Amino acid sequence: MPDPVLLAGDAGVIQIGSAGSIPVSWFLVVSAILFALGTVGVLVRRNPIVILICIELMLNAVNLTLVAFSRQLGNLEGQLFALLVMVVAAAEAVIGLAILVDIFRVRDVDDVDELSELRG
Amino acid sequence: MNLQVLPLLILGLPALGALVLALTAQRTPRIVPKLVGPGMVWLAFICTLVLLVNSLQNDSPHVYTYWTWISSGRFTVPFNLLIDRLSIFMAMVVTGVGGLIVTYSVGYMEHEDKPSYARFFCYLDLFITSMLLLVLAGNFIFLIVGWAAVGLSSYLLIGYWYWRNAAVVAARKAFVMNVIGDVGMILAAFVLFVNVHTLTFSGVFAELPHHDTGWVEAAGFLLLVGAVAKSAQLPLHTWLPDAMEGPTPVSALIHAATMVTAGVYLVGRMHPIFNLATGAHDAVAVIGGVTAIFAATIAIVQTDIKRVLAYSTMSQIGYMFLAVGVGAYSAGFFHLMSHAFFKALLFMAAGNIIHSMHDEQDMRKYGGLWKQMRWTSIAFLVGSLALSGIFPFDGFFSKEMLLGETFSKPGTFPVVLWAVGFVTAVLTAFYTGRMWWIAFAGKPSPDRPVEHPHEARPIMLIPVLILALLTVVGGWIQLNALTDAGPKVLSTFLSPVVGSIAWTSKPAELAVTLITLVLAILAFLAAYQFYVSKRWPTWSRALPRIQVLLEHKYFFDEIYDLMVVRVMDLLSIGGDRYIEEPLIDGTVNAVGTIAESSGEGISVTENGLFRTYALVFLVGALVAAVVVLLYRSLS
Repeated sequence: MPDPVLLAGDAGVIQIGSAGSIPVSWFLVVSAILFALGTVGVLVRRNPIVILICIELMLNAVNLTLVAFSRQLGNLEGQLFALLVMVVAAAEAVIGLAILVDIFRVRDVDDVDELSELRG
Repeated sequence: MNLQVLPLLILGLPALGALVLALTAQRTPRIVPKLVGPGMVWLAFICTLVLLVNSLQNDSPHVYTYWTWISSGRFTVPFNLLIDRLSIFMAMVVTGVGGLIVTYSVGYMEHEDKPSYARFFCYLDLFITSMLLLVLAGNFIFLIVGWAAVGLSSYLLIGYWYWRNAAVVAARKAFVMNVIGDVGMILAAFVLFVNVHTLTFSGVFAELPHHDTGWVEAAGFLLLVGAVAKSAQLPLHTWLPDAMEGPTPVSALIHAATMVTAGVYLVGRMHPIFNLATGAHDAVAVIGGVTAIFAATIAIVQTDIKRVLAYSTMSQIGYMFLAVGVGAYSAGFFHLMSHAFFKALLFMAAGNIIHSMHDEQDMRKYGGLWKQMRWTSIAFLVGSLALSGIFPFDGFFSKEMLLGETFSKPGTFPVVLWAVGFVTAVLTAFYTGRMWWIAFAGKPSPDRPVEHPHEARPIMLIPVLILALLTVVGGWIQLNALTDAGPKVLSTFLSPVVGSIAWTSKPAELAVTLITLVLAILAFLAAYQFYVSKRWPTWSRALPRIQVLLEHKYFFDEIYDLMVVRVMDLLSIGGDRYIEEPLIDGTVNAVGTIAESSGEGISVTENGLFRTYALVFLVGALVAAVVVLLYRSLS
């Protein structure tokens, strides 16, 4: 028997406890803003750590979308998928940070444009 | 005893020797090539001797078929050997004279280092095997295999001193010329196969038509191409004088005694074809006559002793061609035998001189050797007199037999050929006399490289003396030249194969024989007056143009150079400039250039900046999303 609180709600509205309901589109707008911020951050920032954080931001924006739709459709798969994305994001962060640590050991990089030895 | 195994032994023993020497040259002591090299040839000689004794009692030819070589539908080629009196005769010459020459080489090549020494005997045994295959083969396939293998071993032996440029060039020239002949042989075999559908000798000869037809004539002329190339006759003769770059025993074995006579053997073996193809048969005689006088005139002005001998070889083989060309086969083969004796003798005696003169071959730098190298001088004199056709040496009997039979043949054509042969005989005596007098008589030349030359060692002297003995007695087995009553061992022996001459001798034959003899003796002596006592002015001063013409060997090499070598050069240069460079190189280079420049062009996008890649990725994702959305909204 699924939890009525978690799965209740009709199309376009998500129940938050008993306080009231927020339309799904709001969640999607927040998610889109977060994703755009992350994307722009990845593109314009030079500091590698900030770029990694921006990637996390994009992933979490996607997570928010997944959870919002999951709630709206009354389907748990979206929430499960959000958990999976978190695991993958953690793994990706580990690898990305490890690469950065390795690069920092060799030289002091504060601008990813300096890492362009593979240009043709 | 089963005789079938003997021909295989004759072929196999020298082949085994060559194989053993090739495999062990680096490791074994010198005694191995010394024993194996000549030993295998002598064993083959003994086997041939058994066959000879057997064939004296029984004149029927034997065809021994050992196994099937090719079987394709109804067409089969067996590996068969034809043992008749002609092939036994040739095998006797090859193994007998060949054995003496290989034995002589044991001493002559002593200065070579060990692997080269074994290599030399390996090549010699290979040559003997090839030559025996050539003369024993019972079908055209193996005849051609032997024919080509002889050319190969000749190439190897001429180029034996491969670090000398002249030797390598000469070897290549000989090989190319010989291959022209091989092509003629192969084409002849094709012509015969297309028309009679078999390639065994007996099969082909049985299927020949009874009258002259175009294809028989074509086969005859193609066989003649092969014979001319192998026997250094006009116009494919230019390789033989150059082949003197090889060691002297090679000159004796290949370029005097055996290989160059293969053309004569071929005409004799193919006499059923040539008897039908009268045009080709006459061409054999004409080529022989022209080559005989042509080479004799060149020999008059040569100064290198081996080159004089080389031109005399061409001239003497021209005689043999003349004889077999008019149908006097026995006379041709008689001259082949006596020529093998005296020419091998002359070459090996010349080798002794060259050895003692530290490889000096210009005979003008010898002089007065008679006192210091008595045995060699005597042997050389015997050979010279035989070459000049002077009684009582074998050259006299054989040359007069072939000239006499040509003279007696009815018709004007043979008489013209005889006249050419007669003039050649006088010229031969003259240039031979010149060679002997210049080298042995008079005072030692001031340019002589060695003041007191030593007589050759026994291993090099004994084969020479054996051949000198054969030269003295060899002619007496066949006495056509002087009397009809004397023994006719050779023509009786060979008549079951090649038949006897179909005409009777003219009464004037004896008279012309005696005239030839007297003129030859006078020419031999006249050479002394010209070149040693200098009592008579040198003829060449009176005829400087002819002197130049002869010294340049009638400009044959120059003409071939102009007509063939230059043309090929021009073709190659043109092909290089107009085909290879623009077309082939151009295509290949274009492929490379295109790949390179397109790579360079694309590499602009690979700028190494992470943000660019991310941007491209983003734009791509957006485009993909737009496309998907458009697609879904449209459908």
